[in-house]
Amino acid sequence: MNESGRRRMAFAVLGLALPAALLLASAAGTVWLPLGDLLASVASAAGIGAASPLATAGETILWTVRLPRVFLAALVGGGLAVVGATLQAVFRNPMADAGLLGVGAGAALGAVLAVRLGWVTDLFLALPLSAFAGALAAALAVYVLAYAGGRGSIHGLLLTGLAVSSLASAGTSVLLVATEEFRVKTVLFWLAGGLEGRGWTHLRVGGALVLAGVVALAALARLLDVLSLGEEEAAALGLPVHATRLGLLALAALVAGAATSVAGSVPFVGLMAPHALRRLVGPLSRHLLPASFLAGALLVVLADLASRTLSPSMDLPLGALTAFVGAPYFLFALRAGEARS
Amino acid sequence: MSAPSGALLEARGLAVARGRRIVLEGVDLALMAGEALAVVGPNGAGKSTLVRALAGLLPAAGGEVRLEGRPLAAWTRDALGRALALVASEEHGPDALAVEDRVRLGRYPHRGPFRPWTRDDEDAVGRALDQTGITHLRRRPLGTLSAGERQLTALARGLAQQPRILLLDEPAAHLDIGHQLRLFRVLDEVRAGGVGVLAVAHDLPRAGAWASRMVLVAGGRVAAQGPPDDVLAGRACAEAFHITIRGHPVAGLAHPLYWFEEAPT
Repeated sequence: MNESGRRRMAFAVLGLALPAALLLASAAGTVWLPLGDLLASVASAAGIGAASPLATAGETILWTVRLPRVFLAALVGGGLAVVGATLQAVFRNPMADAGLLGVGAGAALGAVLAVRLGWVTDLFLALPLSAFAGALAAALAVYVLAYAGGRGSIHGLLLTGLAVSSLASAGTSVLLVATEEFRVKTVLFWLAGGLEGRGWTHLRVGGALVLAGVVALAALARLLDVLSLGEEEAAALGLPVHATRLGLLALAALVAGAATSVAGSVPFVGLMAPHALRRLVGPLSRHLLPASFLAGALLVVLADLASRTLSPSMDLPLGALTAFVGAPYFLFALRAGEARS
Repeated sequence: MSAPSGALLEARGLAVARGRRIVLEGVDLALMAGEALAVVGPNGAGKSTLVRALAGLLPAAGGEVRLEGRPLAAWTRDALGRALALVASEEHGPDALAVEDRVRLGRYPHRGPFRPWTRDDEDAVGRALDQTGITHLRRRPLGTLSAGERQLTALARGLAQQPRILLLDEPAAHLDIGHQLRLFRVLDEVRAGGVGVLAVAHDLPRAGAWASRMVLVAGGRVAAQGPPDDVLAGRACAEAFHITIRGHPVAGLAHPLYWFEEAPT
C-alpha cells in the first residue's frame, strides 16, 4: 500500500474504532447497558425517537457516571497525544512528552498542596484547580529559568525541565510525609491517575480547555513543521523562532496541565500515540496531530474501561495501566530505533 | 529601491561577534544580481559566520548589511525569507519527513502559517526537485538518504524558496565529483536567471572555475577579493592557508590547473 493509502487506512480505522470504543465503554461496567437501549436513550435525549427504554437506574448510570467519564477519557487521551506530537516537533525528538515541561510533577505538587492545606474537603474542584495551577507554575518556572539571561537553547530547556521536575517531586515527597494519613489516600489515588468520580463539571472545565488547546495547536500545524527543521533554518525561513516556540510550549502546557489536573498522571500516551502513528500517517503535523488525537483518545478510553472492569472489587489505577502498555512499547521503540541507526 | 552601488546585497564595515569574541571585522563585500561569488578561506576564518550575518541570522556588532539598498533590520522576516535563501552545509530535517514535503516548507515565506499551498507552490517545488535531479526521491524519508542526497534536498528547498539571493555554506561538502559538477551547473542556471549566488567553498580550483569573483576571508577579515585566478595567484591566499600555489596554464582550458603544496616552514 502506498503512503496516502496507508494514511487513509489509518484515519479510517481510528475513525471507526474510536466511536466503537466510546459506545462500548459507555455500555460496559458493573452494570451492562444493552447497546440498543443506550443508543435509544441518547437519541431520545437529542430529541429523536421515543422515550428512553432504560430504567431509571440505567439512565442515571449512563448520564451521570458513564458518559462524562468516557468523554473525559477521550479528551484527556487525545489532548496528551497532541501535546506529545507537539513537543516531539518542538524538541526535535521523536520520544518527547509532557514530562519534559515539568507539567506532571508540578501538577502533583499542586494537588498534594491542596490536600495538605485541607482545601480539598472545603472547596469544590480544589484538587484539579490546584493541580492545574501547579502544572502551569512548573512550566512557567521552566521557561523563565531556561530563558533567563539570554536565548535559551532547546537543550537547556530539556535539562531545566528535568531539574524543575525533580524539585517539584522533592516538594511533593516532603508534603506527603507531613500530611495526615487519611488525606494521603485521596492524593495517592489522584497521583496514580484515574477518572473515578469525574463528572460533567470536570468535562466542562478541563475538557473544554483541552479541546480549545488542541484546536489551536492543530491550526498552527505548519509552524510545528517549520520548527522541526531546526532553529537556524526556521529563522532563515522567516519564523520568529523563540516567540513561536514559547507560544507552542505554552499551549502544550495548558493542554497537558488541564488533562493532568482532571485525570492525574496518565503516562506514555503522549509518547506512544504520535510515535506509533508517525510511520503510518507521516510526520507532517496536519496529519500527525489529528491522528494522534484519535489514537490517544482510543487508548485512554480503552485503558479506562479496563481500569474499571478488570477487577470486580476496585478501579485499577489508569496511569498504571497506560504505563503497563507504554513502558514496554517505549523500550521496544528504543531498541528498534537503535537497530536502525 | 536599489542602492547607489547597484548591489543586491552589500556589507559595509561589517563586524560580527559570537558571544563576546569578535569573529569578523571590517568586512566590505557586494553581491550583484546574476553574480557568482565564491567565499574561500581556512577553517575557522569566519566564513560561516559571514554567511549567517549576511542572511540576517546573526546581528552586526558593527557596520551594516544592506539588501537592495535597505538595512536588513528594515526588512520584515517573511519579506527577507522571500528575498534571500540560506542553504547550510548540513540537512537537519526530521528523518521521517519526505523529500518533497521538506522542500515544500521552503514555500513558507510565501504562504505563512495559514494559507494553503497553491499551484505556484507545487510548481516551484516540482521545478526545484527537477533542477537538483532528485525528483525520483520525492517520497523518500530524509533518514534513508545518503549525505549527498540530503544536501541536494537542502539545495532544492533553497531553490523552491525562489529567492533573489542564494547563500550557500559549503554546498559541495558531501557530494561526489558528479554531484559537485551538477551542483555548480545548477547554481550557474540559477545565477543566469538573475539571482545573486554566494557560496562558501573549500575546493579552491572548482570554486574558482565557477565563480565570477572570489573573496578570501582570513583571520576575521577580507584578505583579498577579485577575479578568482588573481586571488588564487596572490600572496594573501598562499599565506592564509600556509601553502604554496602554482597555477599551470593549459591550452584549451579556461582556467589554469592548480597544484598545492604545504609551505616550507
